[in-house]
Amino acid sequence: MTTATKIKKGLLYLALILLGLTCLLPFLMMMVNATRDGNEIMTSFTLIPGHNLKANWETVSNYFNIFKGMLNSVIVAVPATLLTAYFSAMTAFALAIYKFKGKNVLFGVILVFMMIPAQLGLLGFYDLVSFMKLINSYIPLIIPAVAAPGTVFFLKQYVESVLPPALLEAARIDGASELYIFHRIVLPIMAPGIATMSIGAFIGNWNSYLTPMLILTKTEKYTLPVLIATLNSSTDIVSNQGATYLAVAISIVPILIVFCFCSKYIISSISAGSVKE
Amino acid sequence: MESVKTVGKKKKKDYNRMGYLFVLPFVIVFLVFSVYPVLRTLYLSFMSYKGFGDPTPIGFKNYARVIQDKFFWRALWNTVKIWGVNIVLQLGLAFLLTIVFSDIKYKMKGLGVFRTVYYLPNIIAATSVAFLFKTLLDWKYGSVNNLLMSLGIIAKGAQINWLGDPKIAPYVVSVINTWMWFGNSFIVLMAGVQGISKDYYEAAAIDGANRWKTFGKITLPLLRPIMIYVSITSLIGGLQMFDIPYLINDKGSAGNPSGSLQTVVMYLYKFGFEGGTKKQVGYASAIAYSLFVIVLIVSVIQFKVMNKKED
Amino acid sequence: MKMKKLLAWSLAGAMVATMIPAAGVNAKAEDSLVIWTLTNDLIQFAERYEEETGVKCDVEVTQPADYPTKVQAAVLAGEVEPDIIVGEPKMLDSYYEAGLLADLDELGASEYDGQIVDYVWEKGKDMDGVQRAISWQITPAGIYYRRDIAQEVFGTDDPAEIGQKFADYPTILETAETLKQAGYKIFASDGEMNVFSNKEAWVVDDTLNVSQARLDYMDLCVQLFQGGYTAYATQWTAPWYQAMSGEIPVYDKDTNLWDDAEREKAEENATETTQVFAYGLPAWGVLTMRDNYKETEGKWGICSGPSDGFDGGTYIGINTNSKKKELAWDFVKYCTLNDDTLNWWIDASKGDTVSKLSVIEAHKDDENATYGGEKLYQFWLEQAEKIDLSIVTPYDQAIGDAWGEAITKVKTELMDKEEAISEFYDEIEATYPEINVER
Repeated sequence: MTTATKIKKGLLYLALILLGLTCLLPFLMMMVNATRDGNEIMTSFTLIPGHNLKANWETVSNYFNIFKGMLNSVIVAVPATLLTAYFSAMTAFALAIYKFKGKNVLFGVILVFMMIPAQLGLLGFYDLVSFMKLINSYIPLIIPAVAAPGTVFFLKQYVESVLPPALLEAARIDGASELYIFHRIVLPIMAPGIATMSIGAFIGNWNSYLTPMLILTKTEKYTLPVLIATLNSSTDIVSNQGATYLAVAISIVPILIVFCFCSKYIISSISAGSVKE
Repeated sequence: MESVKTVGKKKKKDYNRMGYLFVLPFVIVFLVFSVYPVLRTLYLSFMSYKGFGDPTPIGFKNYARVIQDKFFWRALWNTVKIWGVNIVLQLGLAFLLTIVFSDIKYKMKGLGVFRTVYYLPNIIAATSVAFLFKTLLDWKYGSVNNLLMSLGIIAKGAQINWLGDPKIAPYVVSVINTWMWFGNSFIVLMAGVQGISKDYYEAAAIDGANRWKTFGKITLPLLRPIMIYVSITSLIGGLQMFDIPYLINDKGSAGNPSGSLQTVVMYLYKFGFEGGTKKQVGYASAIAYSLFVIVLIVSVIQFKVMNKKED
Repeated sequence: MKMKKLLAWSLAGAMVATMIPAAGVNAKAEDSLVIWTLTNDLIQFAERYEEETGVKCDVEVTQPADYPTKVQAAVLAGEVEPDIIVGEPKMLDSYYEAGLLADLDELGASEYDGQIVDYVWEKGKDMDGVQRAISWQITPAGIYYRRDIAQEVFGTDDPAEIGQKFADYPTILETAETLKQAGYKIFASDGEMNVFSNKEAWVVDDTLNVSQARLDYMDLCVQLFQGGYTAYATQWTAPWYQAMSGEIPVYDKDTNLWDDAEREKAEENATETTQVFAYGLPAWGVLTMRDNYKETEGKWGICSGPSDGFDGGTYIGINTNSKKKELAWDFVKYCTLNDDTLNWWIDASKGDTVSKLSVIEAHKDDENATYGGEKLYQFWLEQAEKIDLSIVTPYDQAIGDAWGEAITKVKTELMDKEEAISEFYDEIEATYPEINVER
């Protein structure tokens, strides 16, 4: 390699690292500022942590119970993700393996709904939930997860590529029921694909704001993003930038932990070309 | 032998019938929570409806109103502006990164690490991102202006009003969206490049094609469908933009400063979900469908243009 | 006759039947109320009610801007909580239309006919004349002014003479100039005369009505703001409240006082302080004053403004889905129709003006020490007689907000008057197709 190439390559790395810093800097500023006094933050910039973490935490905990919000988010996001995973796998399996009337129509509708913006059904959805008297219930946030067109589409492709038909035939000859086959043979084989899609679904559910904001009107029911959004109407907390940073920082910790453990799956779920939700 | 065969045949029929059972939960929930709401919204778009009592049919009046409503068009223009700047930056950056990492001469290392770091902003909830930037970009006392001042880039007292100046605020939102999404696009583009068979490159190398030729003849054409995919999904997502512009300004769905941050979905929200006299669910439904039609038209044009361009 | 007797007995029986579980074993579950309110006043009522009856009251306060959305979403979705809903006059019509409030006549409200100031009682009735909400207060507006500053600058603190200083807008500007020369600010914000600008309805015969009074008010705001006559302390921001207790820092025109961080910083950097002379507030302003005047207690007076005005008033009603309507009705009665409560409230609020005639009568000659011994009840009653709630429309909030925005655009020179008004028309036209806009 020539020196010129080496220098060019070095510059490229520098640029890549700078871009990486741009991605991380806001988080870093947030972490540092969460430990600083509101007044300090307003007058100076530094990346050296301060000593105000405890006081900031008191302001935050006096304003809202952020852990209750997290718990609520878990109560919504975990079942919703499990439902998406299980029923999408089931539907995808059926679409891939069985031949039945209406299958192509169903698949066509799934494709169409993958391209329809979510807001198109928003008003009708709210009207329906209101009519069903399910405002302030988690049901409208969890049950619809059973039908996730994007996930079904992906898993159908996936199951077609990983499931050898001979395996099914063998199991049937052994007298296994279809449900047994699905649960004991197909699900384990599909597991990597399901995991990939589940992690995406989980993040989507965890971060979802607009629908929970519309459906939930009671503070004690708020999920984390809805709770964080109430920062706008608080005066105690806005007067202390340190407390705002701390609240935001705490709110992103759970998803950062998920990311640490599952970044591989997350990245492969995007590579798989999942629709952004 | 004979009996086994008939049993097998009979069972085979049953297998396929099981298909109905397997798709049943999906179909029921899909019909109730996805299909019905979309149709209900369509129905309501032809109604005058305040969210209670019975809707009254008013024909195409809501749609006629959308066409004449300059605030709808303003909201659409805001949305397109924010999205347009965002998508150019986002795809441009992702494209550049893909070129760098797929270059056959430099053979850059560390893709895994860089990819993870670039993607990180994308997993954070938009609400948290909105508050993070709202605080960092505070006009008079935010850390970003403080940083710029301490670096001497701007003078003391000349802080930039990032979110309060209607000429700047929409583009700030574009940049925030870019920050959130370029890593995502990069991963998708990179996955496309990695999907290109090594044989092509080897063949090209044997033919003595230089880097740029390889890039132009192999990488680029194969990336094009992915670029189209990314930009169309981004369009569908982008024109629905709500969370960040809604939370980053102080006036909720009004989208201050001077309405420059009011997106179409925020405008829809104003009529669809805010209480009291403003609530006009029928009109909000018509806004939703108008936006859908616009997205559809733009997607088709986008698809055609991008498909043609490099032929 | 027999039928009537039968009816009376069965009614009595039904009442006893509903009371038995209330007094019996199941009492625990029943004895709590969820109350959603707009202001802090009701918290005090609820605390006292809880003390006296043992009914647990869970009070949640929501900003007026978000309140109707929240209540409407909950009640239309069939939520049984909150039990108690409140509303300002401008919100009530849309509550009635949406059917959010329970029929109070069924619970016995008609028995109290004639005991409450007429306009309040009438506003609590829906379009079919059914009682659905009652307010404990009447809300005529006046000007609250500092007697000590009045003595110093004008040589008198007599309400009649100070009232002359606010007789009309040109006089107000003169008064403002005099005060400015003496180192004071006439008002904390330029929006103080808003309560007096509501002379005609915003919407008359389905047509938007921008009356001369509105335009004059716009001019006044602009002149007050641009002339440096106010403390630039936007209404309802912390400094606006703070100015009630005396000195506040001099703020910059463009300090965003809603942003606490920015405000605190501006306070640190401020080199001068100033004092505010007057506020324009309805009768319930005594509550705002009580919570904020601190050392200036006793230094205030109240006089009449440039015209008759009124604003707000908290009306209490019951969620139509509530499972505890009897108990909720007991609470409504407790807050609005119970002489004991109202006497306590007058004292606790330092002179809020109640709506029950017998209580008003009893307090007619009270001299309010906080306001230099003024006979406030007489003053408010005179003002209240001029209140005409027919000019309140359900659109007032939205149109008033848009008008306020227009005024802000003019006063900060973002637009000229014509442009701002034209944009205001555009917005009303786009938001309410049912309202004609004649330009």
